[in-house]
Amino acid sequence: MKITGYRIENYVMQMDRSIADANNPIGDDLMPASLLWIETDEGISGLAFGGGDIEQFFHLLEGEDPREVIGLWRKMVDYVHKGGLVASGGPIAAIDIALWDLKAKIAQEPLWQTFGALEGRTKAYASGIGYCLSDDELFAFYRRMAEHGIDGGKLKIGLDMTADLRRIGIMREALSVASDRPQLMVDVNEYWSPKQTVHCMHEIEKHYDITWVEEPARRWDYEGLASVSRRIKAAVATAENLRSIGEVYPLIHNEAVDIVNVSTATTGFTGCRQVANLCYAYELPVSMMNCQANYMAHLAAALPNHLAMEVVDPGREHCLHFDNTIEDGFIVLGDKPGLGIEVDEEALRQLQNHPPQRKSNFPFARREGAGLYVKEPEVGEVPWK
Amino acid sequence: MKITNMESTLYVFNQDRRMGDANSPAGRVKGSGCLVELHTNEGLTGIGLGGAGVRPQMQAMVEQLLVGQDPRRVQGLWKRMVDKHFKGGHDGLINDAISTLDMALWDLKAKANGEPLWKTLGGSKKKIHCYASDIGLPMSDADIEAWYRQMAEEYGFRHAKLKVGLDQDADLRRLEMMERVFKERTDAPMLYVDANEYWSPKQAIRKVSEMEERCSISWIEEPARRWDYLGLRRVKESVRTAVCAGENLDTLGDFLPYFQHRAADVIQVSYGMTGISCALQIADAAFGYELPITLGGSPGLIHAHLATVMPNFMTLEVPDPVVRDGIFTSDIEVVDGWVVVGDRLGLGLEINREALEQKRVDVIPAGSGPSPFGRRPGAGLYEVLPTQAERAEAAKGVLA
Repeated sequence: MKITGYRIENYVMQMDRSIADANNPIGDDLMPASLLWIETDEGISGLAFGGGDIEQFFHLLEGEDPREVIGLWRKMVDYVHKGGLVASGGPIAAIDIALWDLKAKIAQEPLWQTFGALEGRTKAYASGIGYCLSDDELFAFYRRMAEHGIDGGKLKIGLDMTADLRRIGIMREALSVASDRPQLMVDVNEYWSPKQTVHCMHEIEKHYDITWVEEPARRWDYEGLASVSRRIKAAVATAENLRSIGEVYPLIHNEAVDIVNVSTATTGFTGCRQVANLCYAYELPVSMMNCQANYMAHLAAALPNHLAMEVVDPGREHCLHFDNTIEDGFIVLGDKPGLGIEVDEEALRQLQNHPPQRKSNFPFARREGAGLYVKEPEVGEVPWK
Repeated sequence: MKITNMESTLYVFNQDRRMGDANSPAGRVKGSGCLVELHTNEGLTGIGLGGAGVRPQMQAMVEQLLVGQDPRRVQGLWKRMVDKHFKGGHDGLINDAISTLDMALWDLKAKANGEPLWKTLGGSKKKIHCYASDIGLPMSDADIEAWYRQMAEEYGFRHAKLKVGLDQDADLRRLEMMERVFKERTDAPMLYVDANEYWSPKQAIRKVSEMEERCSISWIEEPARRWDYLGLRRVKESVRTAVCAGENLDTLGDFLPYFQHRAADVIQVSYGMTGISCALQIADAAFGYELPITLGGSPGLIHAHLATVMPNFMTLEVPDPVVRDGIFTSDIEVVDGWVVVGDRLGLGLEINREALEQKRVDVIPAGSGPSPFGRRPGAGLYEVLPTQAERAEAAKGVLA
């Protein structure tokens, strides 16, 4: 089996609702997206979510056996040695994902089995990414998730303590049908300084038992993160904006993180698993980031230290068919080979032929005041004020 | 595919040379092993090697945790075996059992895919850096030199390791001999020495410093107790030579102090550390710390499969370039000083049933297998030179 070619399709996702955080509380329902196929001489192709400059790496892949995915990962990572992974991580991750999809399809098994998981299932938590949602919409989202058995929820906060406290209560109430003590998480997306976090979490912890606070300081600030972890009861979760295992290690070595957010951002499935294994040596749980069609659940199911995977479900699968569901609070993966995801080419063509008439705000810029002072939402900026 | 049952066979074979280290200067001439065969309902069988002392425990694990399961789900089955032994811990004897069964599961996973294990793991076929390892402290200078020359000339080895620890003058002499042999192959041989935990940290610092005056040493292996991360770090900071350690650790968690305290420069990994599954985890964690990995000696050099995917892999120990037990063949070879993996399915080990039947035993006899004599008196305190009796035994060489 040899790699012969690739195809990229770019489109803009029109989601069913907007998503938003402290940096952009208005949010957006448009998100640019790419699909990558890596093609072989035997007619099987591997699918990935992501794209970018694949061409710069393709000469490393052409004619190679896709089953040798870690060897190919190594070639790509070594190839960008000088410039590092920050600029090139996206395409490497996309290629790595497609190669793992291929590897599983060649073995005619679901990817979770290729990774060696005992079962194709992993625990889920609900994440609205919904700073733009009204209180009622917020309740409806978490209640819908709770009705699928999900007993944990994460809320975007950071701009308004009164509203944040109220909305944590709404989330807890909505999740209470799944658990008497739902797991409550909050996420400030690096909007606060460490001391702002300590101050605000002290207030929040007077009212609620919080499982983790996410990104309570800058992604690289291991001393700030460590100082937050020592001063609050909640765990510090972070690392989603890091790009390699080498960037994660100072956080672990300096006890700056209690729960590590993992994703394909650290060079795909291959790099994600490396980070998770480093965390495992330190008895640190990992939590898989959300993604389209929850495809990262394949790896999460095989990780011995996986806590729960983020489920957002804003409607990003309009051109996808996938075979996983949420049952009793777990993402349950099917038995189709590979990722178990197929692209509806006709639907994709429709999306490409009728692009939205405005530009997406993703990725969100950093909001004024971040790390310095809180710039509260203006009147009309969010529906909850 | 479902696991159905396990069979195990003990065997003893003659080694081609008298092997030993600072803990066993009399050496041993018999090797031993335990073949574990994990059968499935589709006719495929996975091979695990090890666990001679824990056959009942393996049998129980197979019956309670593995029968009826799909071996391709090895990572989850590994977790089941580890979690089952939560209270007592999964180190020690339980570690031997899990390691051997995990090896057999990976062999099955690759065979189920119709692939060699290196490909199932995701590796690419390329030359693997390696070194010749004498494990020959009982051997005479002449015999070691002859062995090194054979390794250099027949197989192209450029790098080698010497067992040291009991007799500094002899060690210095043999070190220079090793350097001479391999300098004929390369201007920059990597020369390793291995004290097998026989020294205290301060003994190690004195002895290695003196060795460093004679030649450049690439690592000193196990210069302090396996758990003594402070001692290992002390040595590491006091000598130019890299400190290599970890061989006798069992679990991923055992390595945490090494990482956190930067106790070693090179991390030793083997499938005997709770299996191939855990060996891969250790390598990933070491990669986070930019620590090189070395894989120890393994039957049929099967560690080469793992070397193809470990991101910080440095070098592979080769005590024997070909399998000498007469029971197994492997298609992993040493070619011009590099290890090259083959294309046989799974681990690539094939069993000569006739030879196995000839060499099978009911009980492993005393004095065979690795480190059969325990830790040597004086270890960590002072050197006890080989006794008259030990010298006489060692001088017998390999008896037919």
